[in-house]
Formats: sequence, C-alpha cells, structure tokens
Amino acid sequence: MPSDQPSPSRTAGTGVPLHLRGLTKKYQDFVGVDNLNLDIQGGELVALLGPSGCGKTTTLRMVAGLIPVTSGEILVGGRDVTSTPTYQRDMGLVFQSYALFPHMTIAQNVAFGLEMRGIGKDEIKARVRDALRMVHLEGKEDRKPTQLSGGQQQRVALARALVVRPSILLLDEPLSNLDAKLRDEMRREIREIQQKTGITALFVTHDQVEALAMCDKIVVMQAGKLMQAGTPREIYEAPANPFVASFVGRANRLTARGDGSGRYGLSGVEIRGSAGISGNVTMMIRPHRITINDPAAAGENGLSGRLTEVTYVGDLVQLEVASGDQTIMVERSTRSQEALPTIGESVSLNWSAADTMVFSEDAP
Amino acid sequence: MDNNRMGLPMKLLVSILFLYLLTPVILVFPLSFSDDQTLAFPPSSWSLRWYRAIFGDGRMMDAFITSLGLATVVTLLSIVVALPASYAIVRFPSKVTNALFNLLTAPLLLPTIVLGLGILIVFASLGVMGSFSGLVMAHMTVTLPYALRVLTTFLTGLNLTVEEAAATLGARPMVVFRRITLPAMTPGLIAATALCFLVSFDEVVITLFLAGPRMTTLPVELYHRVEMQPDPLVASVSALIIGLTLAVVLIVDRSLGLNKTFVK
Repeated sequence: MPSDQPSPSRTAGTGVPLHLRGLTKKYQDFVGVDNLNLDIQGGELVALLGPSGCGKTTTLRMVAGLIPVTSGEILVGGRDVTSTPTYQRDMGLVFQSYALFPHMTIAQNVAFGLEMRGIGKDEIKARVRDALRMVHLEGKEDRKPTQLSGGQQQRVALARALVVRPSILLLDEPLSNLDAKLRDEMRREIREIQQKTGITALFVTHDQVEALAMCDKIVVMQAGKLMQAGTPREIYEAPANPFVASFVGRANRLTARGDGSGRYGLSGVEIRGSAGISGNVTMMIRPHRITINDPAAAGENGLSGRLTEVTYVGDLVQLEVASGDQTIMVERSTRSQEALPTIGESVSLNWSAADTMVFSEDAP
Repeated sequence: MDNNRMGLPMKLLVSILFLYLLTPVILVFPLSFSDDQTLAFPPSSWSLRWYRAIFGDGRMMDAFITSLGLATVVTLLSIVVALPASYAIVRFPSKVTNALFNLLTAPLLLPTIVLGLGILIVFASLGVMGSFSGLVMAHMTVTLPYALRVLTTFLTGLNLTVEEAAATLGARPMVVFRRITLPAMTPGLIAATALCFLVSFDEVVITLFLAGPRMTTLPVELYHRVEMQPDPLVASVSALIIGLTLAVVLIVDRSLGLNKTFVK
C-alpha cells in the first residue's frame, strides 16, 4: 500500500463480517462458553456484556486464537479461522492492562506489527506517525510506556492494534483501568476511530453504560450462554428475560400471578402488564418509570404503600416503598422541586402497562 | 530498603546487626596491609608486601585462574539450562514441569556437606575427580537452583498479555521469545548471572571434596593456606575477593538497581 495514504484507511462499512457458529469452550469441570452463535456485520461495534465469569473474555480469546476452541467455528469474512494460529489471524487486540512492550519506545511498540508483516522502513515510519496522530500522541514517539499515563498507554495500544489494519478489532475491557472522567473521553474516542476506520469490532465489557453508549449491538451473556443480542434500545426497552432486565439498567423484581389476558395480581391489586402469561410470573419495572404521589399520574397501574427509606445519590433520589409483602424501588430526579414524602408516610405509586415487563417465572 | 521510614530504635538495631556481620570482614583490610610474618591484629607495621606476594605465589595464581574460569563456565551453562527450563515451568505449568522444578531446586534443601559427599562417591566411580569438568558439574548442582529460582520468579512477574499482544500482531512463538520475552527478562538474567557467578566463585564445601593437588580453586587454596601457614597473604587475597564481589554487585546495581533485581 502506498505510504502517502492516511492510515488506517478503511472507510466506514467496509469491515469484514464475523460469524461465530456453535462456539463452545469446555473446561474439565465447567462450560466456559456454551454453543454461542453470533453474526456481526462488517463495520459494527458489538459489545459482549455480562458479569465476570460469564464467558465474554473466553469468547474474545477464542476469536483471537489465544485459547483453543472445544467445538464450533469462527468465520472471518466467510473464511474459517478456527484452527489458524494467533499470529496468522490478523486481529488487533487491545488489553485491559495495555500490554505494551516495556523495553520498546512508543514508536517501536506501534511499529512491531508492521515489522512482523515485512513492511519497508519508510512506510513503517509514515504509518506509525499517522497512527500516533490518530490517537493524539504526536511527539511521544521516543518515550517509554512507563513514561505515559494510563490513558495515553491505552491509546498507544489502540494505535498498535490498528496500524496493521487488522480484519477485526478486539477490545478486552480496555477502559476498566482508567478513571471515570478519562473513561468517558476514551469511550468517545474509540467509537470515533472505529467508525472512521469502519473496522468490525468486538468489545468485551462488564459495564452496561459503556455497552449502551458505544456499541451498535449488545450481546448479553451469562454463565457461558447468550441471553440476548440486540441494539442498545432493544436490550434496555425489551429485555428478553429478568437477567437482562436487571443487568442492563436497574429494575424492580416482583412476583405476581397472571390470568393469561395481560392482567396480573400483585399484593391483591390488579396490574396490567405487557404480555399475557398465566400462572406465576416475574414482573420487572424500572424504578425511574414509576411516579410517586403524582396527582397527574397517567399510568394504568397504581399501588399504595409506605415509604421506608430515602437515599440521595446526587442526580437521583432513590425511594424504597413497602407495599404488602413487596418492596418497590422508585427513582426521582433531584431536579423535581416538589417536597419528598417523609419516611413512614403512605404514598401512591403509578406506572404504565407498557413499562410493566412480565416474564414466566422459570425465565433466567 | 528505605532507611528514612525507620524509627530510631530500629535504625540502632540495624546498625548493630550490620556491625556484627561486617566487623570480621572489615578487619581483613587492615590485616592485608600488614608487614608482619604472621596474622596478628593490629599489625606492628604496614606494607603492600602481601599483595606483591600473591603474584609471586604460583599456586594461588593458578587457583585464582581456575576459580575465574570455573565460575564463568558454570554461570554460562547454568543460564543456558535454566532459561528454557524456567520458561517451560512458568509458561506450561503441568505435573511434568512442576516435577522438573522440584528436581532442579532440590539440592538447595540438602546440607552442602551431604551433597559434597554424594558427589564425591559418584565422581570417584566415574573418574572425574579433580578435573575441571567434574568441578563444573558439581558447582552446577548448587548454581542451577539459584538461577532457576531467580528466573522463574522473574518470569512469573512478567505480564503474559505482553507476549499475547505480540502474537496477535503477527509474531511467531520463537519471535515472541526473542523480541519480547528475552529483552523483558534482562534484569532477571543479569541477577541470575551475578548470583551464579558469586556462588560458584565462593563455593568451598563441595569443592573441598573434589579438588585435588592438580586442580584447586581459590577459596579451597585459601582454606588450606590458613591451615598450613596463616600469614597475612590470606588477608590480602580475601581483600581482593571482597573487592571482586563488590564489583559484581555494583555492576548489577548500576545497570538495574539492586533492589529491583534481587528483592522483587
């Protein structure tokens, strides 16, 4: 490739699709990843989201070729790479711990992958310069990794992974070691670079905010299994099961009984829900979708209870209400000027049927 | 070690301990400049005659050359064996590599005198007594455990993800080792080299069993000399050995920082 081209030079949407077919990783005594099927379009940024031990990092490491697959296939642009060694897979990997080569300068770090590909000295120089410009680290070429801050080191790692123009970019909790403010900044930067280069990217995270804010698609995993895959909006608004509802965003988890027509009995009160399931059900309601003591409340559902606890968390006040044998959490913006009810006072809660998510009781 | 953070009683205790440990060593220096015929403190007059005497003493010079050569060969071989061994032990942990580690470090647990006797019995039947290669093999039983321990500790502390990063960037396993693992291990290698060299150069007990009239090492020759004719020559040789040891430690310190290398 000519050296005068800006690097990396993929245009948006030209990324290679990634398909996982029945991907499984079995260890002696447990299953790390259980029959995972996933289709990622070229140029998409997809989050693998889940609690630690859910198999998301194992999945990423299998895609990178760092751990062998028990069964299943990994297809990159239609090509089966399941048994291709890591060094021939052409993937860029960014680690949580940065994993920069400590004995090399920043420029040598970024140049390493190009050297391995046998690219000429002049082109390496140009591409390293462009890659460092892309991550705003011009002028740091001759520093050693330890002389840079955490955020800068992670940007070097990103440049090092992207400079070789890999077919897939893999990010393993890249922001977890950074402080909150820097995390916000890097989140935006990674997304911007990913969209500009149009590279297909897989992003492992346990942070739902990161996944919601950055990614085209979210894949929620739990205990090695795929729980739900969809756009951030789908995952948040229409979770497939109680696990997804409570892992992505907060949700009250209540138990009720349904008659099959969308009406449910909750603590002796009739509640209208979004689905028609009969028998015992798990009912999930997001705390900020419930209003408290609102005279203009429009929701179909109402419940009265007694306020038991108030927690001030800055932009929100969390109110705990006991109603019958259930405890319901309500969130109110601190922007509201109205006085809060006092603890022990009777309060009325209202919410809409559309915000009442109902799942059969044996859902995960 | 951070002296600044110590309280006064602790400082005092440390000073007394150091004094206790170092006094005999420090006394060697005035003794080595003695003009007397016998070892006596304080010397009645001063001179450099015992330093000059070393160079006139053929046996002592031969022993020194032997020790230097022996320590060099032993160190090189120990590193050549311990480097791949430690890599296998740390990067591919299994029952086999675990057993290998235990086997290679076991000599550290045995009393040196027992080890020396055992080696004597085996070597006598092999006919390698008093030979250079025999001494190399014997010393390696003691230096290998040190080299292996230092290198495995160092490798364990090395971030595996750095090697993985190199692999994802297209480096084959041998390239990863040569370009990433080995350079990152340099401090550990220097520490292991220095340690092996000093241990071998200083080894007395096992060497006593194996050295003969044809071939002996400096510490053993010194030991015999003290038994036969204790003159200030032993002090001047000791002073030179201390100097050599300090030089090695200083080189390690200057190139890497002592604390970083040995205490980790």
